[in-house]
Amino acid sequence: MKIVIVGNGVAGITCAMSARQRDPDASITVISGETEYFFSRTALMYSYMDMMTRRDLEPHDRSAYAKQRIELVRDWVIDMDPDARTVTLEKGGARSWDRLVFAVGAAPNMFPWKGVDRIKEGKVHLVSMQDLDDCERLTPSTREAVVIGGGLIGIELVECLLFHGVKTSFLVREPWYWPMAIGEEEATFVGAHMREHGVDLRLSEEMVEAHVDGSGRVKSVTTSAGNELPCQLLGIAAGVHPAIERLKQFSSAPELGRGIIVDERLETSIPGVFACGDCAEIHPTGGDPYGELIWYSAKRQGKLVGAHNLFGDDVPYVPPLFFNSSKFFEIEYTTVGEIMKAPAGTPTIYLKAPNKPLSVRIVHDGEQVQGFNMLGSRWNHEILERWIRERRSPEFVVAHLREAQYDAEFNRANLSALVRQDLPLTKPERPS
Amino acid sequence: MKQQGAKGWLLHDVKNRGVTAYIIAALLFAFYFALYVGQYHENPSGPYEHFQAFLYPATAWLDGLGATIFSPLGPDQWGKPFGSRWHVYGLLYTVAILGGGAYMIAKYKHNKYLIVRTSVVMFVQISFAFSIPILLKFFHQPEYYFSYLWPLKIDYLDPRNFAYYGPVYVLYGFFASIVLVPVMTIFFGKRWYCSWVCGCGGLANTFGEPWRHLSDKSNLSWQIEKVTIHTVLIVAFVSTALWFASATMPDNAALSETAGTFREYYGIIVVAMLSGVFGVGLYPIAGTRFWCRFACPMAALLGLIQKFGRYRIKVKRDMCISCGMCSKYCEMGIDVRSYAQSNVSFTRASCVGCGLCAEVCPRGVLRLENVWRKDPQEMLTMESLISESWKGENTTIGARR
Repeated sequence: MKIVIVGNGVAGITCAMSARQRDPDASITVISGETEYFFSRTALMYSYMDMMTRRDLEPHDRSAYAKQRIELVRDWVIDMDPDARTVTLEKGGARSWDRLVFAVGAAPNMFPWKGVDRIKEGKVHLVSMQDLDDCERLTPSTREAVVIGGGLIGIELVECLLFHGVKTSFLVREPWYWPMAIGEEEATFVGAHMREHGVDLRLSEEMVEAHVDGSGRVKSVTTSAGNELPCQLLGIAAGVHPAIERLKQFSSAPELGRGIIVDERLETSIPGVFACGDCAEIHPTGGDPYGELIWYSAKRQGKLVGAHNLFGDDVPYVPPLFFNSSKFFEIEYTTVGEIMKAPAGTPTIYLKAPNKPLSVRIVHDGEQVQGFNMLGSRWNHEILERWIRERRSPEFVVAHLREAQYDAEFNRANLSALVRQDLPLTKPERPS
Repeated sequence: MKQQGAKGWLLHDVKNRGVTAYIIAALLFAFYFALYVGQYHENPSGPYEHFQAFLYPATAWLDGLGATIFSPLGPDQWGKPFGSRWHVYGLLYTVAILGGGAYMIAKYKHNKYLIVRTSVVMFVQISFAFSIPILLKFFHQPEYYFSYLWPLKIDYLDPRNFAYYGPVYVLYGFFASIVLVPVMTIFFGKRWYCSWVCGCGGLANTFGEPWRHLSDKSNLSWQIEKVTIHTVLIVAFVSTALWFASATMPDNAALSETAGTFREYYGIIVVAMLSGVFGVGLYPIAGTRFWCRFACPMAALLGLIQKFGRYRIKVKRDMCISCGMCSKYCEMGIDVRSYAQSNVSFTRASCVGCGLCAEVCPRGVLRLENVWRKDPQEMLTMESLISESWKGENTTIGARR
């Protein structure tokens, strides 16, 4: 069997490795125009901050691909023929397949901001290896930067720029940082923490226009608050979307929506063609369509396709209970359950250490816990998940919290110092 | 990408094998070579014979400096100057650990594991590894380092030295090596010694902090390390056995000569070259734990015991983003990421439990633990071996697990 995988991110490579275990004889080819080898996209910031080399970002030894007999092709796929079962490559030539997998990932969101289309130099993202190239090329000639978008990539880019001594303004459209993920109370101290690190954090302030100098380099940004912020670098981190721009140009492509539409087995409208990871828009039987643009799900979906569904096992994809973790400068963050999707007014227990960026948020419905948002210390999400599955009461969880702590030895956060408040969840009003 | 300016250049250069890193390495090499090989031997033989004639006169000022610094303590029990080059070295070593330790504590002020560990390392260096031996000598006792144990300090179980040390110190040496070491290691892993007590590890974890990420992470290094470190362990055992044999059979001239040869070459190759000249000289080039990883007999022994003990690195399920910070900052060259991204909690013989992998993990995936484990496979690290097999010939990890 000939398997061709488009995209060498975590979904594509996991799919390839899983397919190799399943079938020692299959021919497996992974095509990517971005890089020759799989790298950890989430670690781009550490390379930017001189903590790792680019080679360090590669999760597998380069020899692993030859040993696994996974052929790596550095090229972009520009078209496909579902009847002849081929894909066309940009540099010329075609590849035939029996099974085709799209794992093309996600691309940064762009909105029709005024003046951004005039920028020839100085606009960056932090998603692809080429983005890192841009950032590194532009940093030496940058004294001031503006980063827009109040999410995880935004704060990462801000941290990198500060490391390089760039005076950075962080524009967050919403009234607090990352309302899609964290509550107002937590965001207050996260914001203060950012400011302590020298971030010029501007809440409820959007970019309305970007200005360029004579050479086309960005020179300033006008904001909704009427400020003009000088900058030589504009970081855009307003979320990501399935990277299907190239597929839209195909003469024939699987059915596309926001992403590549797949059924619950992750198969597209064309039999034998699958999609997994950030690019997939999953339409489960009798359920609402959804996409999971996150590392862990990409890995899980890649594995399911590679180990099973390429070979006709027809295993449905079941999304896990949402979990994630991260770090906002030094503040650790663990979340379980998509708690910010709960409606405003949902009851929560909020435990906060006085004068310390340390908090616990338990979202519940009065009887059972539904999710957690933990900041400032480490937690074992496996135990938090189990409590949700076991339908534990909020009071049980409060009494047993200690069991889920995951801090380093001697470093266990002192939960008895936390002050309890019962707060309904607040949500920002949608900006018009 | 390195930071702008002279400071950014220097930091990057020192930490990433730049010109300055090579200069520092050359200076460390020269210092250690002069220190060890230039020391005075009453009857120089073997390799020392060739060096003493010019290296001792060239480095005798170090002994003079020691004599001057420690002259307030008066002459020693044999009427000779109290201090020597080794006391100057001890002083420099202590200063390096205290300075590096202060840097560590400032850098990781939010992590109490690292603060406590570094504080203990600094305390042990000041007391057991520096001032207590000097005090003992002052009171005409043997200059004994309680923090150095056989087989790291192989002389402590060499019967030739028993008369000098006397029964109390010899008994302590036996007790520490035969009882204390295995018991503590079963309960806490080798870290209790290698990154809390030992001076070699102490220097690496303080003064050596800027270079910890330079250890080689390749599979080849792992294979080489397993051969070399266990070879040194076997040599240490054989040497000790020979010394006991020759002590019990003092009339056997051939045995006594062989024992002497082992003593001499162990001293020059293992102690002087591997632990000193290369062990520290390679810090800015090959990372800080070259000696601990490839050659230390104590680390080899503790590592074997650790595999059957409670210590492990726990990996939180499915949370790893394969960023590789854990592998990058592992001073022992363990590819931690290969376990973390495969959801495998593990115990590697070489792991010294410094705690940096867990510290640098941006997703809080890793945690050092002491727990009795039920899964014998995990203890024997079959899982670990499989998980590393993406680097090897076969693969069975994944869907069927």
